[in-house]
Amino acid sequence: MGSAYLPPVSHVLPLAIIRRERRLPLAGAVAVRINQKVMASDVVAEGEAPPRHVFLDLARGLGVPVHEVGRYLRSQRGDALEAGEVLAGPAGMGRRTVRAPSDGIVVSISNGRLLFRMHSGVLELKAGFPATVVGTDGVQTVLLETTGALIQGMWGNGNNDFGVMRVVGDGPGDRLQTDRLDADLRGAILVAGICDHPAPLHQATGISARGIVLGGLASELIPVAARLPYPVIVTTGFGPLPLDNPTFNLLSSNAGREVALDARKYNPSDGSRPEVIIPLPPTSEADLPEDVIPLKEGVRVRLARPPYHGSVGVVREMLARAVDYPSGILARSARVDLDGVGLTIVPVDNLEVLQ
Amino acid sequence: MSTIVDADTLLAIDVGSVNTRASLFDVVDGRYRFVATGRSASTADYPVADIGEGIRLALERVQGVTGRRLIDESDSLIVPASADGSGTDVFVATASAGPSLRTIMVGLMPGVSIESARRLATGTYLNVLDEIGLTDRRREEEQIDLLLRAKPDLILLVGGTDGGANESVLRMVDLVAVAASLFPEGEVPRVVYAGNRQLSAAVADRLGDQLPLVLTPNVRPTLGTEDLAPARLRLAEVIGEVRSMRISGFEELRQWTGGNLMLTADAFGRVCRYLSQVYDPEKGVMGVDLGASHTTVAAAFAGDLRLTVCSDLGLGAALPGLLRHSSLEKVTRWLPIDIPDEYVQDYVYNKAHYPRSVPAETEEMHLEYALARQLIRSALFQARAGWPQGKDSESVLLMPPLEPIIASGGALARAPRPGLATLVLLDALQPTGVCTLILDPHNLSPALGAAAEPLPLVAVQVLGSGGFVSLGTVVAPIGRARQDRPVLKFRLDKEGTGDVVEDEVRFGQLVVLSLGQGEHGRLTLRPEQGFDLGFGGPGKAGALRVSGGAVGLIIDARGRPLQLARDGGRRRELNQKWLWDIGALH
Repeated sequence: MGSAYLPPVSHVLPLAIIRRERRLPLAGAVAVRINQKVMASDVVAEGEAPPRHVFLDLARGLGVPVHEVGRYLRSQRGDALEAGEVLAGPAGMGRRTVRAPSDGIVVSISNGRLLFRMHSGVLELKAGFPATVVGTDGVQTVLLETTGALIQGMWGNGNNDFGVMRVVGDGPGDRLQTDRLDADLRGAILVAGICDHPAPLHQATGISARGIVLGGLASELIPVAARLPYPVIVTTGFGPLPLDNPTFNLLSSNAGREVALDARKYNPSDGSRPEVIIPLPPTSEADLPEDVIPLKEGVRVRLARPPYHGSVGVVREMLARAVDYPSGILARSARVDLDGVGLTIVPVDNLEVLQ
Repeated sequence: MSTIVDADTLLAIDVGSVNTRASLFDVVDGRYRFVATGRSASTADYPVADIGEGIRLALERVQGVTGRRLIDESDSLIVPASADGSGTDVFVATASAGPSLRTIMVGLMPGVSIESARRLATGTYLNVLDEIGLTDRRREEEQIDLLLRAKPDLILLVGGTDGGANESVLRMVDLVAVAASLFPEGEVPRVVYAGNRQLSAAVADRLGDQLPLVLTPNVRPTLGTEDLAPARLRLAEVIGEVRSMRISGFEELRQWTGGNLMLTADAFGRVCRYLSQVYDPEKGVMGVDLGASHTTVAAAFAGDLRLTVCSDLGLGAALPGLLRHSSLEKVTRWLPIDIPDEYVQDYVYNKAHYPRSVPAETEEMHLEYALARQLIRSALFQARAGWPQGKDSESVLLMPPLEPIIASGGALARAPRPGLATLVLLDALQPTGVCTLILDPHNLSPALGAAAEPLPLVAVQVLGSGGFVSLGTVVAPIGRARQDRPVLKFRLDKEGTGDVVEDEVRFGQLVVLSLGQGEHGRLTLRPEQGFDLGFGGPGKAGALRVSGGAVGLIIDARGRPLQLARDGGRRRELNQKWLWDIGALH
């Protein structure tokens, strides 16, 4: 029974093949080719930003009845115009015209009204991390691949950036504090244990931080973190939760390297999660991460709930019988050898695999 | 598939967002009995993204418990049952897994058609992102951009009474038509039109070529009438179609059911409606399903079902939604211990990320069930807005008479003691008068609702069998008094033993009398002046036959509506006392 249990999986991998798709919201043009090497800031595809539309009342603009509008039309459905170009007219004694309010396209003309799609600018899709292009559909998506370390988080604020990673503080549970954020950290991606006050988050904006990776974030700061201009990734959970040891060790051992932060929001449907990618030289030892890992003896796990929330250990035994906990809950359980704690019994529902 | 006459075995699957359950029922001594259930983690989400895997595991567990083979070598369901005892005669399935459909409502008047559309939307798995109406102040082009940016799965188009407004409705239809022509390929939403029926042909003419269109009878055929049932049926189909396109395994499950895969909430509602036609017509039947991603409240009054699905209230991924409906103080008021607000809020967000996780420590258990109470209360608040006049919260602050109240959902099912589940329901629902609380620990209600059509007797028969747990009969007088003032006198004559218990209950007390599951007694109640038990007015006495349950006979004299102490320390002390009194603690 236990072998069939599929817990959630978080990747904290010192070396892996990392493949990620970059996708325009609307079809556009892909700017790279297969096998091309790209840098984090390289644009891999371009498309039109989601457009805005405007109805133009041609009859009113020209000062003519609706049924006469057709006589004065200078454009038709599908025409692309630049701002100021005449759409209709001139009409009447005053030679009245209706002009394009911006660069854009005529969508439809009906009942004396013209629907105009205003060009909203170009959307550039960046690679986000140094990689090789391994796939594309030519119009909307690009598949990138690199070799490196991968750390997945549980919450992200939706931003992404790339920069040199620096550890703030001495240990995985150190609080992010304003007096530690000096000019030396300008433009860096910061790693810290816990953040429970908004001041350091704002100060990080002041020193142009490119991102922050935290073990725990006070949930009351979610609205603050969501508005920050740089990516914020939470790895362990909400509250005074330190970075777990494997995550802290992996991040601190790569301090000084350039890393990519993609703080996208967790999406259970497609499994996309906030993550830190640390590009490393290619090696034949790297594999693609596994996403389906049954819970069984020998599997490394992290606790998702108290007690020992965030602690990491190894499953030593899947217990055949359900266990009664202090809460009174009866739950399927595993015996886990937790780092720094020793053998303890925990509900399997409170475990995530740490691969 | 067999008919009711020769159908013996019923197998039901329910695919939830967190758990998938397979439940087997069989006929024993001429009555349907619950035989076994198998539960596995649902596999609708990444990385499996195929509900079939969870179903297979759940079925394997039922096979393991019963020894009955349900799946053949080619992984197909064995229907009908064969002579060797394998397979099932009737198979039904329900599903709530998968995200709610992103929906934009387009209608005419906020208080009329849009109000009906809102009720329609709250009765199923829709996530309404925005509403566009005649009184909308946004310009037409802004409304078009809104439709495009929202990337809806569904546009729910309503408006006009049958034979009523034409032009205004068609103007909204034209707006949708313009937007429809602008959606990128692959992102074209479905449209369900449930407005002025006389315009159906015109709507089809304007929209039919551009996007998938479903025409249903008007949700507001006249100003004074509302008819949600036909639209609800078609919406269920649309939701099923969208989910089938996104998540593997739905189509196969639909085929197993012969095309009758039901939404869990609809099936849950159906069983409540059915029971309301069987039980006391003077009282309603209520069901509450506290899930991880939704909370469903089904209330049926003599066959009139009011179904509410709260997609932003659940004890899992939907938990942060509670903080949009309730303050933290409304959660912590239910706690017997002092837990800081910040810890509660952290808990909410952590639990949302790990919806399967369970409370191992006592403090967490108290918090989990405080959240459960407030989730149910918030869902009930929303639901009652749609109850019939005279039973809704605007006309009656107190709950109307209900019999029985059925509760399901993972958290209630795994409550460490029946007393805890009972107290959660008493606090959250605050039933009045005399009613029975029934716990559905195996989440069988959707199965019974889905089976109600092929096997109408199954619901009533299984409800009285071992699959459900009667928590007990609750006596909850309406009224208030000073603490420790007399509320009522009672006398319980237990059937069979001849034991008699007589006593007085005082205000603020929660009294539990021993009356086990399957036991009955004659209960005589004499309330004090100012306290109403539903015997014809305040102070009126009455006697009735009552059933026992896992907790017993519960007299809740804490007052209706329940008012908790303002002082935090005193409130926690009382919460703790009530937990002890009802047997919720070890």
